[in-house]
Amino acid sequence: MHICPRCESNRSEVVSKSPVEGAWEVLLCPVCMFTWRTSEPDSITDPAKYKSAFKVDPRDIPNAIHVPLIAERRQDRS
Amino acid sequence: MAYKDFRDFLHTLEKEGQLLTISDEVKPEPDIAAANRALNNLGDKTPALFFNNIYGYTDARIAMNVMGSWPNHALMMGMPKNTPLKEQFFEFARRYEQFPVPVQREETAPFHEVEITEDINLFDILPLFRLNQGDGGFYLDKAILISRDLDDPDTYGKQNVGLYRMQVKGKNRLGIQPVPQHDIAIHIRQAEERGENLKVAIALGCEPVITTAASTPLLYDQSEYEMAGAIQGEPYRVVKAKDADLDLPWGAEVILEGEVLAGVREYEGPFGEFTGHYSGGRAMPVIQINRVYHRKQPIFEHLYIGMPWTETDYMIGVNTSVPLFQQLKDAFPNEIVAVNAMYTHGLVAIISTKTRYGGFAKAVGMRALTTPHGLGYCKLVIVVDEDVDPFNLPQVMWALSTKLHPKHDAVIVPGLSVLPLDPGSDPAGMTHKMILDATTPVAPDIRGHYSQPLDSPLGVADWEKKLSQMLR
Repeated sequence: MHICPRCESNRSEVVSKSPVEGAWEVLLCPVCMFTWRTSEPDSITDPAKYKSAFKVDPRDIPNAIHVPLIAERRQDRS
Repeated sequence: MAYKDFRDFLHTLEKEGQLLTISDEVKPEPDIAAANRALNNLGDKTPALFFNNIYGYTDARIAMNVMGSWPNHALMMGMPKNTPLKEQFFEFARRYEQFPVPVQREETAPFHEVEITEDINLFDILPLFRLNQGDGGFYLDKAILISRDLDDPDTYGKQNVGLYRMQVKGKNRLGIQPVPQHDIAIHIRQAEERGENLKVAIALGCEPVITTAASTPLLYDQSEYEMAGAIQGEPYRVVKAKDADLDLPWGAEVILEGEVLAGVREYEGPFGEFTGHYSGGRAMPVIQINRVYHRKQPIFEHLYIGMPWTETDYMIGVNTSVPLFQQLKDAFPNEIVAVNAMYTHGLVAIISTKTRYGGFAKAVGMRALTTPHGLGYCKLVIVVDEDVDPFNLPQVMWALSTKLHPKHDAVIVPGLSVLPLDPGSDPAGMTHKMILDATTPVAPDIRGHYSQPLDSPLGVADWEKKLSQMLR
């Protein structure tokens, strides 16, 4: 488990490792869906240095606007 | 003039001196995006970039900026690379009128070489990377997505081929942004009304003609494949998908087949957009990928997008201007001369027209607002006279500075629709729009002192020829 630099959840997981062993890993946060590579600059990988304007509060995620809205199910067309 | 496949076009770029191979090792971040941003800063004649030595990868190959300049756009159309922009516009418009050219069907394609249906991991298959620092993840932003109208599946033109940004959000999971003005939003709505997933296919690394057609604001029932045939002057080659009744571009490097999950919205973004701003984070639909096939050692095509101008602007400049031109000509066939809707995908449009009588140019502007593309764009429409070249911004600025009277010629229409990505829209998707009439008033509009327009000394045309020869 790793800390997500953006929403700071501790649930991020490795989804890919570099074909050249040990170069980098790609991590994905299942809370805010942020993805990063461990070889990126620390302004991307370090929660303390991640730009504040782009931080995500996990409590806001369920309230994100739907684009587009989910269409209502039409029984007559099933 | 058709290109056989994506690699064929890259070979042409190389032959024409419009492909720059970067063989020094680069980091996936920030080097690839930084190199592209830098390239876009260097003018409008830049080459494509080909990276073949990427830190941590053994055999990844990434092509970028493939259509990111006017020479590359000309080569896409099979024209000499130094063809002037205005000539590219009129040639594109001429070919546009050849629509539709029926497709040519094939049984197999080069991308059938490698097929993956188990344990799909897009992070391993594709050399994905971040573009801009605030992006929420790694994106596919030059892939085309194919889907079909569920209410009318037999009307060929309603099969949609569109270019949409897609965030890779899991090993076999993508997020997609379907702007309501775009066709994919209609297909998703149809599927969700039925409670069904929407089958889709995604093609990466396509020859540029289908990418151009996919990013052209065609009418809903016009086929992008049949337009690609018109643009390239011969039938476009397609092959059937395996999991759905969808046509795929024969020359693609990689194909992903999957489905948009009905009723699912998940956090996506932000993404640095063509507006020069990030999109913000919103809950968007999700695509699950069930099947991947690709050529051996596929070339991953991607584009840098950010503050204009970038490849996006070259890619959607002429092909956004031409449908507006044609639709305005449908309404005013004897007056419309040319349309430049190249600025931020047509949020600004400049229309050159003859004027029949006083007030006519304002009507032309209002018609632009009600075209299908205008409904989501055309926030500012500038109308100029027939002798002003809308592609020549100094001429346009001259017209604005001398022909426009703010009291009479600035028209604001309140409360219209615009794409939600317009960062000035409030709420997102709503805006006032403005028409600036920079045409010369004609009767019965008798304002101003326009009876003595400046002429040129006699013989200028001859001197132009003579001097341009001497300067060669």
